[in-house]
Amino acid sequence: MQRSGEDEFEPQRSIYARADLPARITSHPLFRFAALWESFRVATASLRANKLRTGLTLIGIIVGVTAVIAVMTIINGLNATVAQTFSSQGSTVFTISKNPQIITSREDFVKFNKRKDVTNEDAEAIGRLCTSCWRVGVAANAIETVKYANQKAENVRVRGVNPLSMFDIDGVTIDAGRIWTESEGDSGREICVLGADMLKNLFQDAPADQVLGKEVRIDGRPYTVLGVLEPLGSIFGFSRDNVIYIPYSNYQRVYGARRSLVIFIQVPAAEQLESAQDQVRTIMRNRRGRSMDDPNDEGFALETQDVFLNLYSSATSNIYGVTWGVATVSLLVGGIVVMNIMLVSVTERTKEIGIRKAIGARRKDILSQFLIEAVVVTALGGIIGVGTGFGLAYVISALIGFPLLVSVLSAVLGVGMSSLVGIVCGFWPAWRAAKLDPIEALRAE
Amino acid sequence: MSNATLTLSLPESEIKPQPQTPVDGHDPKALISMRNIWKTYQMGTESVHALHGVSFDIPRGEYIAIIGPSGSGKSTLMNLIGCLDTPSQGEYWLNGKNVSEMDDDELARIRNQEVGFVFQTFNLLARATALHNVELPLIYGGVGASQRHEMAKKALESVDLAERMTHKPNELSGGQRQRVAIARALVNHPSILLADEPTGALDSHTSMEIMDLFERLHSEGNTIIVVTHEHDIAARAHRVVSIRDGLIEKDERIK
Repeated sequence: MQRSGEDEFEPQRSIYARADLPARITSHPLFRFAALWESFRVATASLRANKLRTGLTLIGIIVGVTAVIAVMTIINGLNATVAQTFSSQGSTVFTISKNPQIITSREDFVKFNKRKDVTNEDAEAIGRLCTSCWRVGVAANAIETVKYANQKAENVRVRGVNPLSMFDIDGVTIDAGRIWTESEGDSGREICVLGADMLKNLFQDAPADQVLGKEVRIDGRPYTVLGVLEPLGSIFGFSRDNVIYIPYSNYQRVYGARRSLVIFIQVPAAEQLESAQDQVRTIMRNRRGRSMDDPNDEGFALETQDVFLNLYSSATSNIYGVTWGVATVSLLVGGIVVMNIMLVSVTERTKEIGIRKAIGARRKDILSQFLIEAVVVTALGGIIGVGTGFGLAYVISALIGFPLLVSVLSAVLGVGMSSLVGIVCGFWPAWRAAKLDPIEALRAE
Repeated sequence: MSNATLTLSLPESEIKPQPQTPVDGHDPKALISMRNIWKTYQMGTESVHALHGVSFDIPRGEYIAIIGPSGSGKSTLMNLIGCLDTPSQGEYWLNGKNVSEMDDDELARIRNQEVGFVFQTFNLLARATALHNVELPLIYGGVGASQRHEMAKKALESVDLAERMTHKPNELSGGQRQRVAIARALVNHPSILLADEPTGALDSHTSMEIMDLFERLHSEGNTIIVVTHEHDIAARAHRVVSIRDGLIEKDERIK
């Protein structure tokens, strides 16, 4: 921009003498950082000036982002727990039992109850005949109250197992002491190996090696402690260490042979799983024959951990679905609230828009000012939502007992999503502001 | 230079927005050169002519008052001079640029660079300090922070408000507010200082102070255009253009 005719004047020298002019401003890039920064300042100032309104505007966004972050974090934690849990047992184990783990109807329950019990003899037959099988063991559980001195532990899972390889199939390892020998196991004596929780619940956190040889009372019967297991941790808030292993021979003597047991079969590698299952199915069919009452019933349940994993993944995918629904609705509502507030803000500040336009703000300067304001609100909502989401996940993870996995990705997603809502819902009000006629706007009060 | 036209008392319907007497092309030496400017508003089905064929020139460094009663078209003329609006017909040259055909953003840039507005009601941003208000045109002009700060300070010093830089408008008197507005108008070194009833909201003593300030700014080389309906304010200018019924009624040099 050039100025002509400046020499025609002999003005008094002062700050505003025309000859004193610096080089004229020529920078006009696509966007001007100073103008954007001004927009940001104005946005934050206006939000601070209307704290209550800002807070109310934020609620929808906060709820949406909180839901997403909390659920993502919780499910990440659960996934990690599940992955860890099932890799310890692995996908090389399957079971034969009278009832499947999950019964979905009353009819099934009645049907399964008519089946013959799964017995030690079934296990022996499998061990003898199944060439693809590696380890075969039996286990049966009872829930009991266990006492030591004046300490009491309730709802302890008393697990009768045979043979010793059942410890390997269960994926538990000894921490202190030892497991029983084969002959001890066959003798039917009152001996036991404690799960890690027993130290806490019965021995007031005594070191594992100090409880060896002590006598605990399971439902009043004294059992000598031979060893203590390494802790496995908990899953979904249920401790996997609240257990006492006893020899199956003893279990059978106490609880009677009547109780159905579960046969655990392990194959050396996952590839053999299918052929082993085929062999075991054939063996069991031969032993059961067809049920008289129901020709369609095999008379036993063959299951892998997949049953549980499938249930788990369908449950979590349902939770995900519901959460996304909640998040979408609250972000939508939050977005409409933001749009409404931005329209109010534009109307309130019509005069200001007129002033800014009069002194040289272009459409895109005004547009960006209000867009930035909308995005600052929603991003703030997103940041708060990420915080409360992680907070909520922390509380729940502490209550249920799984690791809190804070994912940066979900935080970025939360803030990004809410900012996007700001851009989308802020655009129309901002556009209305941008195309206001400066003369009309200046006339506003 | 002056282009006084007689007031025609024709019925509205007979006034056609067409150039009557062809006027010579714009004066390239003039800072402002308006040629046969028409402004027509559509009010429902009726066309209302706010200006019908106004032509005049303003050389650089002039102190001019535009005077007229309300409804005379002087506000429309001021909006056109200030590039807040474009004429329906005619040519407007400001500082060598044809403004009459510019789009919104180009006009915004012209307002930013060439025009300094002073309003009757000051029109400062209430939440911003005096300094920030004065910096605002520079922000939209893309001036870097440190240079901006420096220029805004100087502008406030030039209106004797160096002590009040961090005050907000509501902590300033009316005269001080108007001086902040003048500093804001001047900070970008515009070609013209365009004041719309600059003393309309001030008491007579403060009004005189503001008019003294305009006189000083004029003596420093600024081109000043004051739009007013008060004759004593207009009398401070060196040239008075009277508007009536959308036409220039009188254009006289008084100093």
